[in-house]
Amino acid sequence: MTRATINDTELLRTALVGDVTSPVLGISPYDVSADGVPFVSVGAGGICYTVRVGSAVHGWAADQVEPGASIANPDAAANEALLLHACVGNRVTVRTGAAAGAAGVVTGKHEAFHAYKHVLVHLAADVLEGLVPGDRLLVHASGRGMTVEGLPELACHSLGPELWEAWAPERAGGQVRLRVTRVLAPEVVGMGSGRVSGATSIALQAGADEALDGLRIGDLVAVRDWDATYITGYHEDRVLVGVVSTGDSPVLGNGPATTILLSGPAAALDFEIDAGANLADLLELG
Amino acid sequence: MQAEVAHPSHTGTYSVDSYGRPIILPGMAGVVANARVGDLVFPWAADHLEPGVSAGNPQRDRYQALQFLACVGNVVRVLNGPAAGAEGRVTGKHAFVLVDFPQDALDVLAPGDALLVRAIGQGLRFLDFDDVAARSCSPTLVDGMGLEIADDGRLRVPVTAEVPAFMMGAGLGMSSEWANCDVMFTRREVVERLGFGDVRLGDVVAMHDQDHRFGRGYRAGMLAFGVVAHGGYGGVPGHGMGVATIFSGPRERFEIVRSPDANLRNHLNLAA
Repeated sequence: MTRATINDTELLRTALVGDVTSPVLGISPYDVSADGVPFVSVGAGGICYTVRVGSAVHGWAADQVEPGASIANPDAAANEALLLHACVGNRVTVRTGAAAGAAGVVTGKHEAFHAYKHVLVHLAADVLEGLVPGDRLLVHASGRGMTVEGLPELACHSLGPELWEAWAPERAGGQVRLRVTRVLAPEVVGMGSGRVSGATSIALQAGADEALDGLRIGDLVAVRDWDATYITGYHEDRVLVGVVSTGDSPVLGNGPATTILLSGPAAALDFEIDAGANLADLLELG
Repeated sequence: MQAEVAHPSHTGTYSVDSYGRPIILPGMAGVVANARVGDLVFPWAADHLEPGVSAGNPQRDRYQALQFLACVGNVVRVLNGPAAGAEGRVTGKHAFVLVDFPQDALDVLAPGDALLVRAIGQGLRFLDFDDVAARSCSPTLVDGMGLEIADDGRLRVPVTAEVPAFMMGAGLGMSSEWANCDVMFTRREVVERLGFGDVRLGDVVAMHDQDHRFGRGYRAGMLAFGVVAHGGYGGVPGHGMGVATIFSGPRERFEIVRSPDANLRNHLNLAA
């Protein structure tokens, strides 16, 4: 087997900025859990010191907790561009504030329906200590436009060349062989169907719990019978691959947000189950 | 509640269908005068086809109240314009509250016409089934559906079709009362393979392994019932045939009966 190659010489590297967000709530603080119990949503937006990429998705008193720093551009149209162009694995530089100059890595994206759209950034623990909401981060964006040599039917999304290099997929015959932690059944996908594949995340439903036992933030996962060539939706004989980006959710039809990395015909993709297929290991996130 | 016939809106860009083709198709908002509850769901060149009238409110907070409080079966009256005085019924929810009016009213109604919605239904409970949650289900609909308690104590519900959980798409994760949940029929071959070609707008359907009591999501052993609210062939991936939730509870509490007559046109005695 040989390494699968991408069009890395064609890919642009561009600069986009996002500011560290702060959590938002409505007038009533209560959301309703799957069992009909009111709860206050904690974990999305701002900075989370407790949960890191590599942490378990379960076991937090939180709703889709975002690990590390959560950023967005305050201009809605510029934020859409940030969401489309930032790719998992891209380098990030803190531009303002006490942590200015520190380096980070894009680890995922997280969208809430009719609400926020965030890019998630890993930074070292001591950098997070110095970071505050409003600090500006520069994303060295690269990956949009990525194609896999010999397999034009594969659609790449939110997949940075840095992650491709670390993931090191192999070519065998007409297939690309990808390392993932698990391959999931189609009914695991909850909120997030019908979304623009390149910009966003889909939720892995908490209701399909057993399939998600032991899942960690940063895990690379595949979902059978789903397509994300342009927009996410059911499609037999296709498969999508994503990276788990947040923790679990108490809300029905929600769960760990998963950022889409690529999608294509099932016949073109082969999976190697590898418990180590996690961003924390692949990108050596400290 | 105050409402008005909504005007269609557009971003000025193409969407993409499940075959990878750019699409611009009608269906949402305004008045669809020639596709009505009782008609087939799919054979239309449309995306999110909302049959009859789409009722909204230009004020966001009033719109949300309309979305949450209007229930399937509620009476709607036209307050001004050439159709003033015409009476219709709420038949579903999507981005708007969907209303069927008699054909002579549909032929003259226009965006901006004022509507009154007589909202009743949120808070409805089945006294003999306290673990079944009713959502957006009016007392009129309960009466019209011909629900019966079987000899073994289960609630007997006539439906035209049963939807498998893996087909449920956009609408999962949202509130039970808000809009609807799409069944991902966006390609003709999938409609045919799963045998849904005969389904009609307004049909009552069962959704397996779906818990729609406090939001909408997958849960093994739970069942949700809804009415087919929107249709059309022009499917954006992950969307498709919209089903508005009417009630949900444990599977063992229900007896599903297949009936081709389980449609709102019959249940609500909709005028021609």
